[in-house]
Amino acid sequence: MQRREFFKQLGTAAVVTTMIPAMSFAADAPKPKSPNAFSYKQAVEVITGGKPVEISSKVQLKVPEIAENGAVVPVTVTVESPMTDSDYVKAIHIFATKNGNTRCIDVYLTPANGKAMFSTRIKLGQTQEVAALVELSDGTFLSAAQSVKVTIGGCG
Amino acid sequence: MGKRKSLIKIKPKKYKDGEVVKVSFMVMHPMETGMRKDKKTKKVIPMLYINDVKFEYNGKVITTMKVWESLSVNPVFTTYMKINGKGDLKVTYTDSSGEVNEKSKKIKPKG
Repeated sequence: MQRREFFKQLGTAAVVTTMIPAMSFAADAPKPKSPNAFSYKQAVEVITGGKPVEISSKVQLKVPEIAENGAVVPVTVTVESPMTDSDYVKAIHIFATKNGNTRCIDVYLTPANGKAMFSTRIKLGQTQEVAALVELSDGTFLSAAQSVKVTIGGCG
Repeated sequence: MGKRKSLIKIKPKKYKDGEVVKVSFMVMHPMETGMRKDKKTKKVIPMLYINDVKFEYNGKVITTMKVWESLSVNPVFTTYMKINGKGDLKVTYTDSSGEVNEKSKKIKPKG
């Protein structure tokens, strides 16, 4: 019985001693939060204003399924659209759903683009979904999403 | 802050009037998220990222972009553009520190 208790105490002591430096470290350097932190739901609501979003095959989202380096993940969004003055893609928004700030980029296109495509490289902190939200000139919203497996996170 | 290196690429290199070409714009920029720490000093590196990018062709705005910090270091922006006569393609970009830079390329369609 005594032996058992001794081990218990030893165990708690070990936990406490390992905890203390970790806690003090956390106290003087709290993990900084992004000042423009936005959750995915919030961001979509802000953009659409509560309008329904349709998941459509017209929006093609090209992201690698496995990203070895989260710091550089190529993303390409292509939308089927004639891009004429009366019918064109107004905006393309790209989100990383689990990043501190989910909004990556908002692209506002015009008929002068000729083709509705946008491509860039984003950072992903962890394994998550990358989503694209597309606004057409008639006010409808289309979206597409794909999950990306991240081996090494690229944020922080 | 010195001038940043940037580059505008048009594909294909030879194009005709009325053709739709691919335009890429690259900038050398750190795109700091404000979450990374300096390994030596253990201090948080302050946020610094590109806010705003604007593509202009002969004074007409083609594409505007609102950018946040989750874009990669040295970002690339690629879209398409319809060639419409001779002129200038001007890209203006603004930093979160308020630094404004621009880069332009001459557009010379052949045939």
